[in-house]
Order: sequence, then structure tokens, then C-alpha cells
Amino acid sequence: MAGPLAPTWTPESTSEERSDLDRPWVTIVWNDPVNLMTYVTFVLQELFGYDEATATSLMLQVHHDGKAVVSSGPRERMEHDTSRLHAYGLWASYQRDA
Amino acid sequence: MKPFRAARSGELVAGLEPAEAQILGLLLDQLEQLLTADAEDVADDPVVERLFPDGHRSDAGMAADYRELTEASLRNGKADDLATVRASLPAGGGDVRLDADQAGAWLRTSNDLRLALGTRLGITEETEPPEDVADETDQQLAVYYWLTALQGSLVDALVASRSGRR
Repeated sequence: MAGPLAPTWTPESTSEERSDLDRPWVTIVWNDPVNLMTYVTFVLQELFGYDEATATSLMLQVHHDGKAVVSSGPRERMEHDTSRLHAYGLWASYQRDA
Repeated sequence: MKPFRAARSGELVAGLEPAEAQILGLLLDQLEQLLTADAEDVADDPVVERLFPDGHRSDAGMAADYRELTEASLRNGKADDLATVRASLPAGGGDVRLDADQAGAWLRTSNDLRLALGTRLGITEETEPPEDVADETDQQLAVYYWLTALQGSLVDALVASRSGRR
């Protein structure tokens, strides 16, 4: 159903040592049984400008792992990203990066 | 139903049977009732919870802040999309012709309808289309899968027209 399988994409590394305040916020898309895989890929491309391979890889991560980080940055921007995803009916939330 | 395709004009075009247009119209009415209901009346409605989810999963205060910040515009956006779909739906069936903005509204509203029906029906990833339509649940399942085909064709047509523009 989805496009060609893409190489695995991993979110930007956050492994460097950081203080609590420096930790960025992330927007997460959670798996749900209704949203079509093609639709999720399409929305990720529309909202975040990802190329098809990256958006497909993130969609597959949502599908197989139950969730994927789709953006990271300041809290206000993650709230905004979450609301844009909610406008498309994707199951999204934001939180401080774990 | 003739599924959506990208026409040479750039429009997205589908064809609906009269009964399909009628069902879609009824579903739009039901969605509108949910979107315009008093908040207290639908507070625990799982469909409303799915259409307006918490922004933060573990911090109730942050979830409340998020709701205050975004819910009104989310609700208005859904109402605008619904009005756009209704205005471009041929009531007696026939061709649906959409420009890019209208296609976005159809995409989001058909998804909201699938989320609403899917939540009511308890759809899981194992749910299958009904083989026979024996009762009301089968009927609603059939409508759900019809919406899935409609929306899926719109996504595919939009992807095709986008790659054609490149």
C-alpha cells in the first residue's frame, strides 16, 4: 500500500550530554488503526516537507514501533506541529525529549 | 463510485452514485452535530476525544494549556472543511471536481468521518470488510470501507498530481 521501502531514517541524535533545559521538545505521531499508511506519508510530506523516502520511513516506524518522532525543537513549535497534525486527524502529542 | 483521479486540468475528479452522495451527506450532518454540540454533552464521547486529542499525554496541566490554545481553531478548521465538502458534493450524485484547496478539505473531512466511524465500530488493524451485510453493524462497516476507498483514491490522486508537477 505504501510507497517503496526506504532506508531506515533515525531522528537527529540527541546523545550528546545536555542539561535539562537544553533538551529539546519533540512531536510524536502514534499508531492508530484507522489512518491509511499512504495518508500518513502524504501528511508528513505536506506538513514537514520531508521527501517521500523520509516520510515513508517515519510512517513505517509509526506502524511497526507504535510511534515516531516527526519533529523536534522549542516547545511552542512542537505545540504548533501537534495542532497541525491534529487538524489532519493524526494521533500526535508533544513532550520533552526522553 | 468512480474513484478520484487527477484530471489533466489539475482538478481531482471522482463520480458518486446518488445513494453514495446521500450517505455522505448524512455523515456530514452527523459530524456537524458532533462538532457543534455543547462541550458538556459530548465530554466523554470517544469520537470527540479522538477528533480533539490531548496534546500532552502525561501532564494534565500542559494538556489543558494546549487545549485552550488550539481547540477553537481546530474546531473552526473542521467546520470550514465540512462546509467546503458539503458545497462541492453533488446532492443527487454525479461528478465531484475539486481544486487543491477543496481536495485538502475532502481529505481531512473524509479522515474525520473514518475516525468517527472507526471509533464507534471499534476498528482494529485486524478488522476486515464484511462479506455479507447482515445487520446494521455490517452496514456501517461497509460504509467505513467505502470511505476508505474514497479517501485512499484521493490520496493516490494527490500524490500522482504532485509528482507530475515536479
